[in-house]
Amino acid sequence: MPPAEVTNLGYTPPDGGWGWAIVFSAFISIGFSYAFPKSLTIYFKEIQEYFSVSYSEIAWVSSVMLASMYAGGPISSILVNRYGSRPVVLVGGLMVCSAMVLASFGTSIIHLYLCVGVIGGFGLAFNLQPALTIIGTYFQVKRPLANGLAMTGSPVVLCTLAPLNQFLFDSFGWRGSFLILGSIVLNCCVAGALMRPVNKRANAKPRNESPKCNGAAEEAAAVDTSTRSANLLTEESQSERKGQSNAHKLIDLSLFKHRGFLIYLAGNVVMFFGFFAPVVFLAPYAKHLGIDEYSAAFLLSIFALVDMFIRPATGFIGNTKWVRPRIQYFFSFAVSYNGVCHLLCPLASGYLGLVVYAVFFGLAFGMLSALLFEVLMDLVGAHRFSSAVGLVTIIECGPVLLGPPLSGALVDIFGDYKYMYYACGVFMLAPGIFFFIMHYYNYKKLDEEQRRSVTVEMRTSEEAVELKMNEDVKTVDEN
Amino acid sequence: MSASWKQLLSQVLLLLVSCRHVNTKTPSPTAPALAPLPTNVSSVVLKGKSHTENIQLLNPVNLTLVCIWTGHQNTAPNITGHWRKDGEEIQSSRRSVQVDSQQYNMTRVFSIDKEENLGNYSCVFGDEAKIDFILAAPQFDEDRDKPIISYVGDSVGLTCKMANPDPNTWTWYKENGTAKELISAEPQRYEIKNTNNHTKLLVHNLTEADSGVFFCGAVFAIHTTMRPVELKVITFMEPLKPFISILVEVVVLVAAILLFERCQSKKKVPAGDGTTADQKNMLPQGDDNASEGSSSMRQRKV
Repeated sequence: MPPAEVTNLGYTPPDGGWGWAIVFSAFISIGFSYAFPKSLTIYFKEIQEYFSVSYSEIAWVSSVMLASMYAGGPISSILVNRYGSRPVVLVGGLMVCSAMVLASFGTSIIHLYLCVGVIGGFGLAFNLQPALTIIGTYFQVKRPLANGLAMTGSPVVLCTLAPLNQFLFDSFGWRGSFLILGSIVLNCCVAGALMRPVNKRANAKPRNESPKCNGAAEEAAAVDTSTRSANLLTEESQSERKGQSNAHKLIDLSLFKHRGFLIYLAGNVVMFFGFFAPVVFLAPYAKHLGIDEYSAAFLLSIFALVDMFIRPATGFIGNTKWVRPRIQYFFSFAVSYNGVCHLLCPLASGYLGLVVYAVFFGLAFGMLSALLFEVLMDLVGAHRFSSAVGLVTIIECGPVLLGPPLSGALVDIFGDYKYMYYACGVFMLAPGIFFFIMHYYNYKKLDEEQRRSVTVEMRTSEEAVELKMNEDVKTVDEN
Repeated sequence: MSASWKQLLSQVLLLLVSCRHVNTKTPSPTAPALAPLPTNVSSVVLKGKSHTENIQLLNPVNLTLVCIWTGHQNTAPNITGHWRKDGEEIQSSRRSVQVDSQQYNMTRVFSIDKEENLGNYSCVFGDEAKIDFILAAPQFDEDRDKPIISYVGDSVGLTCKMANPDPNTWTWYKENGTAKELISAEPQRYEIKNTNNHTKLLVHNLTEADSGVFFCGAVFAIHTTMRPVELKVITFMEPLKPFISILVEVVVLVAAILLFERCQSKKKVPAGDGTTADQKNMLPQGDDNASEGSSSMRQRKV
């Protein structure tokens, strides 16, 4: 773990207190960001008939929304770096609300693309990034747990929105539903109001009063045993902070020279090709095997339920003292497990086999989602996380959008779902193994760097002690 | 049946229904060897035997219905059978049925040429066995029980689909009290778009008076099958009410949260006057940069 970046926040994060209100607000923001596009699909059939368009044209609304949400990442990061999380989330909430209200008066499908797709997507991007960023500012020791809890928002909000959307549709048709959804999504502004900027002046500074020389060795040892709250100020970290101060103005492109970030990015780009497709095709695959529509839908409910419970559990496990220092391995395991799950799926026969697969897939998906942003925070540190997540989302935009259609093409070419599952399995297992190897190498390098920086620190403090002693002797002589 | 009917018809569908059932499952002596088609027959029914057969008709036809029953052990060799339509006995259909190689056979030809001739036909063997034939035009398979919602001034499309077979044509009716009014295309108002297996009625410039039940009719030579489609027209005030109430809730919550924060920070400020000099040095700094700068400066002093 890079102690220089992670521990030098310059203040002690509360790790509790108002932080739990922040977790709740992030829960809401992240929940809406991920679940809202998925839940709108209930209206598609009706809108398709209303505008007399084909199914693929209406599916574009979802794709445009997702693309905007990912493409808006860097813009969101720049704004968060500049203004903090709260104003960005408030603006995001207002944007999605106005997008839905405008869409409810829509007269053509293009109108929907622009309103729901572009404006709505950007609004959701302005919710997602700040929510993730602010957790990093409020939590250090309990951060994996906080991240796991916040990411649980996605399945919970989806499970709430799905029946709600059906009810709204039956009562008000699609126009009225869009109007009311606009007001429901305005609750993101409530989440934004809760996102109080963290008080950075609290209690961090007095620690620097302690004698650095004697304390240096103890603090080095403390860092080794992974107490992240120790403030170890080394020369290396000072230069890094200077770099950060300039980058804070816009977006930190020096991340592309960061080893950990590059590993994360490379693995994620490949992984996202196979990430969402199995979820999208779970119900169609079940129907293909001859299972009726309601049981197929029930599979998705099982998946969502398991997902809901495993995310906080993963956060909790990630926080334990055995896993936290080597959390990248836990993430690599989660990715590989996803891959193995998909490779074994074609072996599942009958409804019971698919239920078992849904349970294991729910576990895998939840674990991965809970850790997805935690490991990025772990690699680049809370300062640069905002820029990092913006860059990551815009680069992931491609695989996320291309994944499901490519998988669909595989299904159409071979007429069988198993090749698609094999492909998705490979697309997840390969990055998983890649992560294991690269992070082993990365951890080794980081440990080396840390040992070097500790010896440098000890040397400078020894020299400082000598200097001080010489000065004292001089003053004594002068006296 | 008059010969002229046979000449008029281009198709004659002769349906031979042979009811034969060998009971191999239950050894019970009362288990009937009722001879229905090999469909679900629940074997142990103590009182009488019956079976229902669904027959789909598109065009007028002369239909021959044949009923064969293998009878009980104790059945008399000579029983009286008759035919029924919709529960009522058909006049002069009562015959004496002789057993012939352990089978009781009843056959009758029916002319199904009008809508009224469709229905439930049964052959009854004494009071012991009965086989029902339900003659009907093709029915719609899915039933949309939820009303379609639309708004005043907007347009709506009401659709009906029939998978198989394709009807000759489609018609639309609007329910007016108990009567059904035929809808014909009117510019700026009603538009009917038909394809082989589905139809769409577009209603433009909706008003609240348009709410009600519409019927789409799949026209076959023998009969028009109807299906109700309910339309509800509402004004924009309806969804606006929940919208406004949720909006108010959000505004109240946001205001409450921000006020709470302001009160809390006001409480802290009087306490803040008692802070140490060190912390006072840091007060003007808002971002990490300057605070780290000052702390690093302090370190260099060491």
